Amino acid sequence: MNNLEIPPEVTPEFTSTDETSLLVIIVDSNPSQKMLRDNPHVLTHCIDSVIAFANSHLMQKAQNKLAVMACHSKTSEFIYPGPNKPLDIRQIDGQYEVFTAVERTVKQNLAKLLVNEKSTLVTESLLAGAIAMALCFIARIQRTKAPGSRLNSRILVVTGSGDSASQYMNYMNVFFTAQKQGIVIDVCALDQHLSLLQQGCDITGGLYLKVPQLQGLLQYLLWVFLPEPPIRQKLVLPPPVKVDYRAACFCHRELIDIGYVCSVCLS
Amino acid sequence: MTTSSEDVLLQVPQVRYKKGDGTLFLMDQRLIWMVENRDTVALRKFPQKEKLKYNYKLCFIMVSRRRFILPIVDRELEEKNKLLSSNPALLQLYKDLVMTEVVSSEEFWAQHASQYTQKQKQQPQDIGVSGAFLADIKPQTDGCNGLKYNITPDIIECIFKTYPAVKKKYVENVPAKLSESQFWTKFFQSHYFHRDRKYAESKDLFTECGKIDDQEMKKDIQSGVSDPLVNITEFEDKTLDEGYGVATEKTNVNIGTVSQAMIKRFNQHSIMVLKATKKSSEQNETEVKNAPKHNGNVNEVEKADEGHVAKKQRIQSKITYDDLDTGNDNSNVSGTSLNLSKVERYLHGPMPDSSIEQLNPNEASTVLRGVLQETRQWQSRHPTSSLVSPAAAVGALGELSPGGALMRGFQEQSLAQLVPSDIENEVRNLYLALCELLSHFWKCFPPNTPNLEQKAVKMHEALHRYHTAKLKPFEDKLIRELSPLSHHLTKHLNQLLNAAYQKFSNWQKIKNR
Repeated sequence: MNNLEIPPEVTPEFTSTDETSLLVIIVDSNPSQKMLRDNPHVLTHCIDSVIAFANSHLMQKAQNKLAVMACHSKTSEFIYPGPNKPLDIRQIDGQYEVFTAVERTVKQNLAKLLVNEKSTLVTESLLAGAIAMALCFIARIQRTKAPGSRLNSRILVVTGSGDSASQYMNYMNVFFTAQKQGIVIDVCALDQHLSLLQQGCDITGGLYLKVPQLQGLLQYLLWVFLPEPPIRQKLVLPPPVKVDYRAACFCHRELIDIGYVCSVCLS
Repeated sequence: MTTSSEDVLLQVPQVRYKKGDGTLFLMDQRLIWMVENRDTVALRKFPQKEKLKYNYKLCFIMVSRRRFILPIVDRELEEKNKLLSSNPALLQLYKDLVMTEVVSSEEFWAQHASQYTQKQKQQPQDIGVSGAFLADIKPQTDGCNGLKYNITPDIIECIFKTYPAVKKKYVENVPAKLSESQFWTKFFQSHYFHRDRKYAESKDLFTECGKIDDQEMKKDIQSGVSDPLVNITEFEDKTLDEGYGVATEKTNVNIGTVSQAMIKRFNQHSIMVLKATKKSSEQNETEVKNAPKHNGNVNEVEKADEGHVAKKQRIQSKITYDDLDTGNDNSNVSGTSLNLSKVERYLHGPMPDSSIEQLNPNEASTVLRGVLQETRQWQSRHPTSSLVSPAAAVGALGELSPGGALMRGFQEQSLAQLVPSDIENEVRNLYLALCELLSHFWKCFPPNTPNLEQKAVKMHEALHRYHTAKLKPFEDKLIRELSPLSHHLTKHLNQLLNAAYQKFSNWQKIKNR
């Protein structure tokens, strides 16, 4: 009988196989995004890629967890796990039931959300609020996890919107909260460069990627965003580009290099 | 020749005359050229009244006409050489600017080296006396129970500075009564030096020195410290007594004389050292003032006044803090109140305004319709549709592999490692030279006087010369050797140059209008 004995002085390593990885994907589903206005089929492509990516995440480890949110100009909602009771799934095509469940739930709930969209559309999406909701979800999961198990969490924001100036304060709040909690924020920008979200990635230690071509979206997602944070140190991933941290003047809303700072509110 | 009654006024070695090397002597009455102590060739006799008119330079001009070949001792050149050798930065600037003919030599010394030449005119600091100099004179044993001390003139000067009494004795006794070596032998043998302080018995040359020192000390103690804010008599050791009270240590008056003597010696030594340094600084001050006050009474009264004012100033400076007090002082002068024009900008954050549009209803409905159509297709599955075409996937992988389009960040980080150190040095020197030229160029603007205009034109030409003579060859070299880096390294330099050219051409346009 060969029993592998670990010598007593070597403490057993806590490898990443013991850690649960929680991924929250925030999909910007605002129909008035520029890329969707030009070609609505992009939405299908994005959603399919995101679902494939989510399933790959679940495939990494049995204990991995997933949540998907949809966000646009008026609301943000969890579409997986959805608000309704889980769908009854039977096996189709030999696909793993969980994957089928993910796919079906996401598409169904998102369609419902878009159908209910009636009023005027604004090109701004409430991403800061969605990130805040994701942070709350992660906090809840962390509170209710089994004692002794470890959990690393990250938020992936997939968006085609531009930077929204009015949410500056909210963004800063969620970024610093995430940094405090040790939650990594990744950003996948599909259309325009997002300097604000890039700062958030920088603060929390996440990755910011502006996808050069939409056709290979799934490939980019799988390569860059699939590894969980503890493993990322061992991989060669796109290095962070120098972030433009210049503050903007509060009265003129222009980026400046040298200026006066209020000693009370730091504006 | 050894006991000649003539004074040698100037002596110039290594002068060539009629195919031989020798020494040229300028005496009081004659000009003599001598070859190695052998022959003298009396060359010229100065008539009595004219000799005062001659300054040495004229003499040499005269002399050179008689086929002397003198080594050119240009004092200025010597100074310049010294400056260059002692300042490596200046040397580098000189090499870059003058040797490549970007700036002529006179311009260089006039403009760029001016701050260096001025530095020399300041008085160099006196080198102080090291505290342990007496201990450093290590005696060498002479074999048979004797000690040999080696003293250099430096050490002698130090001893005189610290112990003025010894200097007095030296002046009195040498060379009249004792020779130098005898004097110093006695010095080291004396109990004064060894400080056992039982000097009352021996009849030594230096016993008086000890007494003089004591007298000086007493005088100093009586005159006290002139600073009214320092209270020496209150210096005591305060230690914790029982019950955390404060106890002052009572000094035991009957301490053994040896330790008392040691303490006395230390104090004396410190006082001497302080006096020695004060003397030199006082001398400088009196030279500068050029008006030594002779009247003792006036001196004291003035000093008292000054002391009073100075004391007040010092107390004042210790109880006020400048930056905390300005609020109280300027209460009647109110600062300008802050006028915020659009307060809500401060509530929302400083992001530069980006375009947030509202879609007009037509467009909105079109978009919605398109999206909803898409969602209807989601109900049925299309398992055969591929999400990523192979070409797109491979393209994405290529960008993400090391060296790809998305992995450029690594290149920036390793730029510092990719550049070899000699190229780094060259870039640094280029920057130094260019910044020097540019600072002079930009100082000329706005050109109000004709001088400045001329200077601007000259500096502009110098910049052009610099560009062709130094920058372009460097860039070519970079392209040949380190092609990927060539543009990064010199981009900023080119930017600086282009800004200067732009300014100059604008100015020319305005001028010629």
